Amino acid sequence: MAALPRRIIKETQRLMQEPVPGISAIPDESNARYFHVIVTGPEDSPFEGGLFKLELFLPEDYPMSAPKVRFITKIYHPNIDRLGRICLDILKDKWSPALQIRTVLLSIQALLSAPNPDDPLANDVAELWKVNESEAIRNAKEWTRRYAMDT
Amino acid sequence: MGNCLKRSTTDDISLLRGNDSVRESSSDQLSPPNYQEALPAQQAILPVYHPSPSVTRSVAQLTEEEQVKIAKRIGLIQHLPTGTYDGCKKTRECVICMGEFMVGDALRYLPCMHTYHMKCIDDWLMRSLTCPSCMEPVDAALLTSYETN
Repeated sequence: MAALPRRIIKETQRLMQEPVPGISAIPDESNARYFHVIVTGPEDSPFEGGLFKLELFLPEDYPMSAPKVRFITKIYHPNIDRLGRICLDILKDKWSPALQIRTVLLSIQALLSAPNPDDPLANDVAELWKVNESEAIRNAKEWTRRYAMDT
Repeated sequence: MGNCLKRSTTDDISLLRGNDSVRESSSDQLSPPNYQEALPAQQAILPVYHPSPSVTRSVAQLTEEEQVKIAKRIGLIQHLPTGTYDGCKKTRECVICMGEFMVGDALRYLPCMHTYHMKCIDDWLMRSLTCPSCMEPVDAALLTSYETN
């Protein structure tokens, strides 16, 4: 593999020196482009109290293309599917090379606080979120308790 | 090496310039910028383009529509002003490579006044004609600046 670009080295150093509150991103020992991420569920969201594991991979042409990010911990959210794939514009067509690992993870954390059932990835979850929000939130809390709290 | 638009690959140039809608007399005098210097040697043999940021195609795989799109983009990028860093500007860091500007670095200035290394921003503009920092569409802003001048 080619030498690690200066930008990735810099971003990694800054993530270590000034970590984002509620987010940890540690590069894998054998692959500096692969990060083990933990995001804490935001306060006043159904995910509060949960620790959500994600994986983040910086593709070969990063930052010209977006990092690949996926939830590993199961989560009940209209914009995150069974496989942990995330429907978030900045990871797709709204990506810009001025964004960073830090801003991507903050956006994902913000997505947990503000689910958007009108742009769903998990259709059944989004449907329930629209027709019966209180039941959807109950489910999200239950999943958080079951899958994101036993680490 | 690695310049996807180098003159020796005349086939690629003619492929891109062959369309009527992209003939611009002024752009012919400028030498095309280097877009892909950073590519590893094995990928540099066949130029690749990005009709949209997430799409990568070799020049042979481009549809006619994509060729036109990319040719227009090349023409437009060449109209954006460039300069060299003289050490006394407000911006000190290129947000794309996160490297500090060094005296003598080739820079490109976007209509929204954001500044980047020429190599860094050209690589991005070939994928998307938007400013990475403010997301302002570069083509619209360039047209406006022509109209007001």
